[in-house]
Amino acid sequence: MKKLTIKHGLIALGVVILGFSSCSKDIDTINKTNPNQFGGSQPSLMITGAQMANVLIQEGELARMSGIFTGYFVGADRQYISLNSYKMLSTDLDNAWNSLYSEGIAQCRLIKDLCKKSNNKELAGVASITEAQLLLTASSLWGDVPNSEACNDNILAPKFDKMSDVHKYCIALLDSAIPNVTGSSSYAAAYAGNFDWAEVANTLKARAYLRMKDYANAKAAAQNGVALGHDLNANHSTASPGAWNLYYDFLDYDRPGYLGCDGAWIVQFLDTANKNCRNNAKTDETPRFKYYFTPNNYTALDPNMVDGIFATTSNYALVTYAENELILAECESRLGSDANALVHLNNVRSELNNAFGGYSSYNISDFGPGQMIKGSTATEALLKEILMEKYVCLYGQLETFADVRRTKNALGLPDNSGNGKGLPQRFLVPQTEINSNSNAPKNTTDIIFSPVELFK
Amino acid sequence: MKQKYYLLAFAGFALFSSKSAIAQVDGTTDTGRLDEVSVTATGLKTSTRKMGYTTSQVQGKALTQSGEGGVIQGLSGKASNVQITKNSGDPGAGAYIQIRGQNTITGSNQPLIILDGVPVSNSSVGQGVDGVVQQSRLNDINPADIENIEILKGAAAAAIWGTRAANGVIMITTKKGKKGLKVEFNSSIGFDYVNREYEKQGIYGQGSNGKWVANNGSSWGDKIASRAGGPDSTASSGAHFIGDQTGNTYYKILKKKSTQVYNDKNRNQVFRTGITFNNNISISSANEKSAVYFSASDWKQQGILAGQSDYHRTTGRLNFSYNADKNLKLVLNGTMSKISSNRVQQGSNVDGLYLGYLRTAPDFDNTDYSGTYVNASGAQFLGVQRGYRKYLGDGIPAYNNPGWTLNRQTNTSDVTRFILNPEVNYKYLSNSELTVRVGYDQSNDRRITYFPVGSAGNYSNGGFNDQYIQESELSFHAINRSDFDLTKKLKLNTTIGYLSSNQSFYNIGGNASQFIITDQNRFSFINSTSQNMDPFNYYSQTLNNRVYGIFDFDYLDKLNVQLTYASERSSTYANRFASPSASLSYEFSKDVKIPGMSFGKFRMSAGQVGIAPPVYIWNTNYVNASSVSGWGEYMDASQFGGSIYRSSTRGNPGITPEMKREMEAGFDLKFLKNKLSWGITAYSNTIDGAILPVAVAASTGYTSQWKNAANLSNKGIESELSYAIIRNNDMTWNIYSTYGMNRNMVNSLNGTTSITLNGFTGTDSRAIQGYAMGELYGGVWARDSSNKMVLDANGFPVASANSAPIGNPNPTWRGSMGTNFSWKGFTVNILFETCQGNKMWAGTAGILNHFGIAPETATEFTVSGDQASKIKDVTGATIADKATANADGSYTVRGSLHDFGAGNVWLNQAWYQSLGGGFGPVSEQFIKDASWTRLRELSINYDLPENICKMIHVPGASIGFTGRNLWLYTAFKGVDPETNLTGVSNGRGLDYFTNPGTKSFIFNIKVKI
Repeated sequence: MKKLTIKHGLIALGVVILGFSSCSKDIDTINKTNPNQFGGSQPSLMITGAQMANVLIQEGELARMSGIFTGYFVGADRQYISLNSYKMLSTDLDNAWNSLYSEGIAQCRLIKDLCKKSNNKELAGVASITEAQLLLTASSLWGDVPNSEACNDNILAPKFDKMSDVHKYCIALLDSAIPNVTGSSSYAAAYAGNFDWAEVANTLKARAYLRMKDYANAKAAAQNGVALGHDLNANHSTASPGAWNLYYDFLDYDRPGYLGCDGAWIVQFLDTANKNCRNNAKTDETPRFKYYFTPNNYTALDPNMVDGIFATTSNYALVTYAENELILAECESRLGSDANALVHLNNVRSELNNAFGGYSSYNISDFGPGQMIKGSTATEALLKEILMEKYVCLYGQLETFADVRRTKNALGLPDNSGNGKGLPQRFLVPQTEINSNSNAPKNTTDIIFSPVELFK
Repeated sequence: MKQKYYLLAFAGFALFSSKSAIAQVDGTTDTGRLDEVSVTATGLKTSTRKMGYTTSQVQGKALTQSGEGGVIQGLSGKASNVQITKNSGDPGAGAYIQIRGQNTITGSNQPLIILDGVPVSNSSVGQGVDGVVQQSRLNDINPADIENIEILKGAAAAAIWGTRAANGVIMITTKKGKKGLKVEFNSSIGFDYVNREYEKQGIYGQGSNGKWVANNGSSWGDKIASRAGGPDSTASSGAHFIGDQTGNTYYKILKKKSTQVYNDKNRNQVFRTGITFNNNISISSANEKSAVYFSASDWKQQGILAGQSDYHRTTGRLNFSYNADKNLKLVLNGTMSKISSNRVQQGSNVDGLYLGYLRTAPDFDNTDYSGTYVNASGAQFLGVQRGYRKYLGDGIPAYNNPGWTLNRQTNTSDVTRFILNPEVNYKYLSNSELTVRVGYDQSNDRRITYFPVGSAGNYSNGGFNDQYIQESELSFHAINRSDFDLTKKLKLNTTIGYLSSNQSFYNIGGNASQFIITDQNRFSFINSTSQNMDPFNYYSQTLNNRVYGIFDFDYLDKLNVQLTYASERSSTYANRFASPSASLSYEFSKDVKIPGMSFGKFRMSAGQVGIAPPVYIWNTNYVNASSVSGWGEYMDASQFGGSIYRSSTRGNPGITPEMKREMEAGFDLKFLKNKLSWGITAYSNTIDGAILPVAVAASTGYTSQWKNAANLSNKGIESELSYAIIRNNDMTWNIYSTYGMNRNMVNSLNGTTSITLNGFTGTDSRAIQGYAMGELYGGVWARDSSNKMVLDANGFPVASANSAPIGNPNPTWRGSMGTNFSWKGFTVNILFETCQGNKMWAGTAGILNHFGIAPETATEFTVSGDQASKIKDVTGATIADKATANADGSYTVRGSLHDFGAGNVWLNQAWYQSLGGGFGPVSEQFIKDASWTRLRELSINYDLPENICKMIHVPGASIGFTGRNLWLYTAFKGVDPETNLTGVSNGRGLDYFTNPGTKSFIFNIKVKI
């Protein structure tokens, strides 16, 4: 018979003591910090990331989808074919939405908090402008979006604020930023151009007021908006993945053949072979056609990723003089001054002439029944030309989708839905938000054809 | 017992009669189930009879006989509720092991592997929806070295391993030296073939809307048979292409006349017969003082994909033990492996094999995949790619020509692996023994991915990735075992142990693109500028220790109660946490005699396992800024002077260990003098506080947060049965079967409703509250309140705006049934396996609809002129709108008629390229039943009779044949559903241009020298 002896106890005890005592300090400390990542950052280092997110939002998937909806492009291959008839999935928007909030708006708000501590008002202003542009984009595409409760560590289900309230918030944000950024072009590593932050902020404000159909305020803001030669662009001066033009990336590098222009609505207005071409005695669109389009790269006609607007190192327009002038032109027209409107339209034509050649100034007599620019009245013809010029100038940009809806499709884009439901009026609420935010509105069938608040 | 028949029923696999010369050569000395021994979680042995929980045993011989190169694959069908899924049929492909369902969400669901008592890695790093099929590190081990595998399934069995035992433990024991001197040589040759292929239509040509269009992606072109015939009319000058492979010159096609279909030719470019040579030598020897087992093996496999697809593994092992005196034993087990492998790109990847191959139009010949493009002005461009979407090579084709994928792209993996485990065993008292083991396991994997200039997609200007992955684990295990007779009837066995481990993972490498020199291949960063290089590294180290005690009470050799308590401390969690368990077994047949029953045992157990959190999730980190779209375009901060901002994953300092609680109960019964054995177990477990990065609404500023978020449960039944129909000196005949069913449920996700595990935007595998883990999720048809499909004005269904759960990839049950028969040196083993009720997303099939490649898209029908003016397609156009009438006024068109509920509609290109195809928003329609039944294994072995062996002067020899996967029944089309695009990830049930599975014929010869 075996008996317990003291020796057994000692050995067992030894093993246990060994076990507990060898919990050296390492086990307490080794995983406290992640050796692969940082524990914090500086606001001046964070702003570039937020602006990169803004570039991805303005120039990426959302712009391509909007571009298909607004006749700039045609979905030519695979998943993109469904978009031609406005078939969109709520999960299609997840990536962009995640970038918009977590990489964009959240970082901007964090930067502003950190700037308060260091009293860096200029950087806080730049962050506000970036945030405003992101929120204005979100609110244009989705209507009501999270804002007042968004990006708050204590709120897990932010409510969706009304589109009009989000616009008011953005205007206030821009107003608060302007005094601190006048004359500044700092903190903009992802951007390019000879811009002035205060001018950019004013043009963004004008955008917001225009969407609200507050033409007087839009005009007032735009009068301090982006001046000639002061465009704000996304910086794509390096021909490398991660830096180059995002349209180029999609068109040629990542998804060649998905997005084309063969049959896109815009083409007829620039194509000299087409009877609807805008060419007239004062206008030659041939160079702009070449800048926008290139034949036979992947489809019969492609967006120009070779040597034009979407080439590898072409910077991408974010907030421009042309847009600002055309906002002014439209506001003047709607406020009753065709003469002033024409001045701004001609400012744009003059800029175009410098860039491409082929554009000379219009006179008021060029508009109206039987004139170069036809319409039932000169006023109507002029307004339509302003809208048309803006449509063409903003090729590839998101704001056109807002203009088309705001003007109730004044330009007459065709309905490709296949069932007469008209143009899309909004994007679907992203599935990730629906899954994790109990305050997110659910997508109902055909919600995509239901106008958002400001464009009703 | 040695010369007697024995049956290893619980492995679901019976060994042959020990009359088999080979079984003796192998030195198999297992004593059979009647008094057999199991390996417990400590690595020490115990009497199986007394265990209060189930394990499954698989003998090493069953692994080698299976003919599989990898240990994991060799386990297929051999144990109940142990699901093995190969990643694909690629040589060296890894495999997924799941024991009793999925137990964690984002952690690894893979069981812990213990090799000769020390933990070893079975990682499989880096497989996603594209890229190459990765290996599983367990397959580095030579299967021929394995004596026995014991699979511990439940929480109670595995509790001492704590955290790492959450998904069960696979205990592997390697062969040891046996008395005498035995040398054995084993050589085999195997032939592999693709076991399931997609059918491609050969009726309509490349193009769109019924017209041939050069370089078009689709095969919605003209009817090939209606063409003029003869060679195509082409330009005779101007831009042209000269093929490297045939020397043919291709000019611009002016009119497509040829009626040739190249489906077979293109297929033969892709597939070949895979060949495997396997040689293994082992030497075993032992005397009173020492025992040694030596082996060396070489497995050389060329895959079924006709290009750079191979796997070459060389291993060596030495297991040595020395009895310094009768109480002190010193052991050293060591093994090394060197593996080099070439892989082929697959999946959602324009540089992948199947994507380019299957989409190729039937009237396009892929043979010339590279060559010289000469432009209109005569300038030559050497070594450019040609594919069906760029037939003149005047640019990069949208998809790789399969020839380019197979022959020009390089994807190597070079692995060195060594595992060393010294052990000392000191019996310091007659009833007490101290064992101390040290284990060290290290693997180094250098992987190269190389896309030459001219590859499709992102790598048109070249792409290169070189990375080095090093994993290591140092472990220490001390065990004291003392046995006491408390009273005459009651015995107590105690085990007190201490376990510690130090695991590290290091991955360093870089990506480079936009090559400077375009016509020479160098696996070096020398060929890119600094803007086009992107280095990366990642390091993690975790420490872990456990103290445990096992108290095993044995009453009258029939009632056994075991209590276990383990206390764990991990560097990833600030406090100790416990894993207690208890088990009971009662051999009631000692008390109650039931007619016909020779053995009866009831067992039950309950246990809890604490699972430490993953490393580095306490804090919200600040990361390199990068904004990426789902299509691949991105903004990278390193291109803009750098930016470090807050991660979109929110940390959680309050994270606590996950808790898995499991109960099981069952019987082990034997009848008819042990001829019939049956084990049955029912179990139920819950996992509380499963840790995962929960998707949070992006509007919170984060996209995910680490949380103890999920509550999961599994319950199931498993059974293993065997029956020895005949057993006498000349002949044995056994049948055996396994059955397992598991029901998994995600009970709650605490704040979110679903979490993506793996997959695509649009269709993915998720954890969804109220569904089984891995549930497939995607776009569905809009339905009304009575669940009827909403139809539009044209009679077509419409896509719902919201995605929904669409199918469960987990089987409702799995089972296997086999028989083995042996007679005078002949042995035959047949094993069927089945998996029922699992759904799979037929992603490939949906895409082949889009491109007009699927045979169902190449049908045609005729309707009257009247019907033609009424029947519409999805765009609202009628047949008459889109087609021209036959002479008799009727219309014959491509496509088919279908009634969704509002009368016949026309399914044509417009349908398949929008709602009805794989690029459309509705993935519900491509969820298919992926149940299968297969002849997993058929082997025949013949031991040469003694007189012949004498003639050739060897003590023993045998020849054999093994067939694997020779027969497969499944309703799933195009590919063996026992593959998974996302490999060993928790995302299951996805098929998307995954490399195919194989069937094999293996011939072997074994000689004892």
